[in-house]
Amino acid sequence: MKIFNSLNRILLLITLLAGFNFSLDAQSAEEGKTLFKANCTACHAINDKVVGPALKDVHKRREEAWLIKWIKNSQALIKSGDATAVQVYKENNESVMTAFENLSDNEVKSIIAYIKAESEAKAESASTATVAADPKSNNGTTPEEMASNINWLLFLVAILLIVVISYVFKILARIGDIQGRPTINWTKLNSQLLMAFLVIGMIAAFWEFFVHGKLTYFSMGAASEHGEAYDSMFMITLALTGVVFVITQALLFWYGFKYKNDGTRKALYFPDNHKLELIWTVVPAIVLTILVVRGLLVWNSMMYTNKEDARNIEVFGYQFGWDARLAGNDNKLGAHNFREVGKVNALGVDQNDPNAKDDIIVKELHLEVNKPVNFYFRAKDVIHSAYFPHFRAQMNVVPGLPTKFSFTPTVTTADMRSKIGKPEFDYVLLCNKICGAAHYRMKMVVVVDSPADYQKWLKSQKTLVNNSTPSAQTTASN
Amino acid sequence: MSDHTLHHHDDHGHHEENFITKYIFSMDHKMIARQFLITGIIMGTIGMLMSMIFRLQLAFPDMTFPFLEGVLGHWGKDGKLDPNFYLALITIHGTIMVFFVLTAGLSGTFSNLLIPFQVGARDMASPFMNMLSYWFFFLSSVVMIASLFVDGGPAAAGWTIYPPLSALPKMIPGSGVGMTLWLVSMVLFIASSLLGGINYIATILNMRTKGMKMTRLPLTIWAFLVTAILGLLSFPVLLGGSLLLIFDRSFGTSFYLSEIVAELAGGIERTGGSPILFQHLFWFLGHPEVYIILLPALGITSEVIATNARKPIFGYRAMIGSILAIGILSFIVWGHHMFVTGMNPFLGSVFMLGTLIIAVPSAVKTFNYLATLWKGNLNLTPAMMFAIGLVSLFISGGLTGIYLGNASLDINLHDTYFVVAHFHLVMGSAAIFGMMSGIYHWFPKMFGRMMNETAGHIHFWFTLISAYCVFFPMHFMGLAGVPRRYYANTAYDQFDVFVDMNVFITVAAIIGGAAQLIFLINFFYSAIRGRRAPQNPWKSNTLEWTTPVEHLHGNWPGEIPSVYRWAYDYSKPGAEDDYIPQTVPDKDQNDPMEESTGLPEVGYLTVKAEEHAHHH
Repeated sequence: MKIFNSLNRILLLITLLAGFNFSLDAQSAEEGKTLFKANCTACHAINDKVVGPALKDVHKRREEAWLIKWIKNSQALIKSGDATAVQVYKENNESVMTAFENLSDNEVKSIIAYIKAESEAKAESASTATVAADPKSNNGTTPEEMASNINWLLFLVAILLIVVISYVFKILARIGDIQGRPTINWTKLNSQLLMAFLVIGMIAAFWEFFVHGKLTYFSMGAASEHGEAYDSMFMITLALTGVVFVITQALLFWYGFKYKNDGTRKALYFPDNHKLELIWTVVPAIVLTILVVRGLLVWNSMMYTNKEDARNIEVFGYQFGWDARLAGNDNKLGAHNFREVGKVNALGVDQNDPNAKDDIIVKELHLEVNKPVNFYFRAKDVIHSAYFPHFRAQMNVVPGLPTKFSFTPTVTTADMRSKIGKPEFDYVLLCNKICGAAHYRMKMVVVVDSPADYQKWLKSQKTLVNNSTPSAQTTASN
Repeated sequence: MSDHTLHHHDDHGHHEENFITKYIFSMDHKMIARQFLITGIIMGTIGMLMSMIFRLQLAFPDMTFPFLEGVLGHWGKDGKLDPNFYLALITIHGTIMVFFVLTAGLSGTFSNLLIPFQVGARDMASPFMNMLSYWFFFLSSVVMIASLFVDGGPAAAGWTIYPPLSALPKMIPGSGVGMTLWLVSMVLFIASSLLGGINYIATILNMRTKGMKMTRLPLTIWAFLVTAILGLLSFPVLLGGSLLLIFDRSFGTSFYLSEIVAELAGGIERTGGSPILFQHLFWFLGHPEVYIILLPALGITSEVIATNARKPIFGYRAMIGSILAIGILSFIVWGHHMFVTGMNPFLGSVFMLGTLIIAVPSAVKTFNYLATLWKGNLNLTPAMMFAIGLVSLFISGGLTGIYLGNASLDINLHDTYFVVAHFHLVMGSAAIFGMMSGIYHWFPKMFGRMMNETAGHIHFWFTLISAYCVFFPMHFMGLAGVPRRYYANTAYDQFDVFVDMNVFITVAAIIGGAAQLIFLINFFYSAIRGRRAPQNPWKSNTLEWTTPVEHLHGNWPGEIPSVYRWAYDYSKPGAEDDYIPQTVPDKDQNDPMEESTGLPEVGYLTVKAEEHAHHH
């Protein structure tokens, strides 16, 4: 009995432990998810190869200790001659994985826990999916095979159609030969088709403007100060070119219809007319002058801004992600050196520079509404382009060549969400210059906060040196 | 020149040719034109098939296509297109289409075919250089295609190959051997282009027949002349730029590299260069290149529209003026590709001004085409339909150039799908339409046979409709901020609204691609089995239609005919037919150089109207 009792107790302990263990797992997987999204998704996905390999079941393929070493500094592991590391490096076209020395062992472990949980969840759902799909495809073909069969069928049908059509035309041509005149008068048919194309095409174009126009960023309005001037410049251009588009296309297709050869007329010998030519040289010149003058005004107002209370922010682009560095209370960005990037800190900032002490490096960029910002751009490896479509702002990010752009955000994320009725909406910074395999995933979320929210967020950040919480930032200039 | 004429005259009866000198290492401009055309068509087909693959990826990013693994090997593992290979595909698609199809395939074909024919010469100034020009092009095509099969894949930094991406193999696998081959191919291509260009210019300026004054040249020849000059002045700059890039890649220099640490750049720290310098050198060619592509297409259109409208081209002098203005302006606007590189805003203003000025000569050309159609007597042949299609696409694509040329608007439009839509309409589709128009129009001259007309019309309608269905909706994606060269739009929730549109575009592209099959079959079938062509099937005025249908070494069996008038005397009042070939003298005109009424004096119509009123 005693033995039974103690056994029971042990069992209970194990169950408890297991339960505890389980909840620990779930908790760290949750933390891992956040870390994974922030650090890994630029190059990795669970099921698909992106830049790096798919990570599904990676916990089965490699040991945890090895993974920790690899993630923290893969190059060091390769140089130490680790066979697995060298093999992985070669299998992935010798592309260098970013070193994540800032992650603690526990953080890496929670990332692995998240991958483990995801791998198992995916495997489960896949097996249930197969089971569910099975009864439908009774002859044992998977949906994919069926799709491919359908593709072949479509292909055959298309070939058949082409053959049939070509025969029809051949027969028509034969009939035409016998009757001594062509059965299809293509000049007449074409003229009618030109007219039909004009009408249907114009309707389709206008339909697109009204339906797809709603999907553009113009429909939500600009979120920056200069954005309004930008949008009105665009609309003026749209109105002028729209009129020209409709008139010229209509004339072109109308003439094609009206002046077809019907065997009754002779063309008008009309080689030139100076008055006409003068008109259609001068009128476009005047219209373009208007556009040029206005365009230059807008361009200059965008490029030559110099606001004294602007906050300085550095945006750093690399394969494949963005970092931002706030200048801190002194509003001065500390010096940096490209040789130090990724060593003492991610951006190669000189920590001995007094200006750098209060700098803050962030992965999600927060801006304060109605507060001008000067962005200074810097790249580590290749050219990227920092594109903020909602703020009507873009600037290339060039290694070795500092660039700059300034704007003032005017609508908070919360306001924009309620304005367009999409609670999930976020402003984004996209990479808009081809930069490699994960170019299409290189993004940073931009949040525009109300002043109070901004200070709250700022307090949750850590300064570069001392890891202290920054004191409230009032106006950056003083 | 008279020696040249005599030589051929003596020679052509007993000229010996074997298979190799006739079909392969031919020095005859007509054969070289066909070689350029067929190579261009093959390259075009490859480029188009590539676009089908990446369009599938864009429409169905989550689906797998098992056939991809069969076609692409490890780049399409498990039926998923590899992101690196996606970038390689768009790079090679762009390169092939811009250089191999629309430069060599279009200008190479028609300059070779038409320059000696239409100026009245027995062949090019240097037939040997002409042959070299083709074979350099052929080699360059072979190298480009070979680069598809090397380790790491072909070049993948975009067709504009901006360094540092194109200079650092660490950053993208395509910047390894593939990029080296791309550059080698481009060097060969430039050699081909220069050899051709010098020849075209020399032939046009020096070898015109008696009476063929510059003011009597057909507009095709004017377009080819300006094109050749543009190429001659701009391609060497790309050659220089490419050589410096080869140095950076292979010899450790830093012309284009700055602040790149040693481990990213093959063990040598690179600093002190400028990545933007490459963009300046590239676009110094790259922008004139747009007109190198477009001008021949516009020249062809002028000729085809006038012939088939049975009307003189409206404003012949203004057309020449526009071609020259576009040619000159094209050299001072390259910076509009670089508004967001951080260049001095004042420089941006200058480039913006130049760019928008180009819209004026372009508008003049468009209005002149419309005026040529007005009160014409249009024969809507396939060539004419493609020419009308070109004008339509030129308007649609040209107008969006006014947005992109405006530096302030470019800030948010740069490198988005708006740009993709713009250049595919104005440069891609429009130039392809010009090329098609030329093929349908001069096929009888090239092969002595007619193409099937019905197939031509079906081909036209499918192509026009699919071109608009593919590229028009892209404007709206661009205006929602969707960047180009994205492997998928799945990383951004806000782009989910375009899933349906992407499927629609892909379906339209596949239909458009399939329609090109009709053309391919028609082309090759007609070349071998088509109906025999009459000598002058379109009742055209220009000189090429005075040569016999069967190709003849030296083009004309006897003396080269003299020219007495401009090329556009269609439906001239008082004439019996609705066309008067250039070789027909005006009454009382004995010397071909003597000014005839051939080129109408200014205000012709008013004078005639007054006379008319006077008679009654």
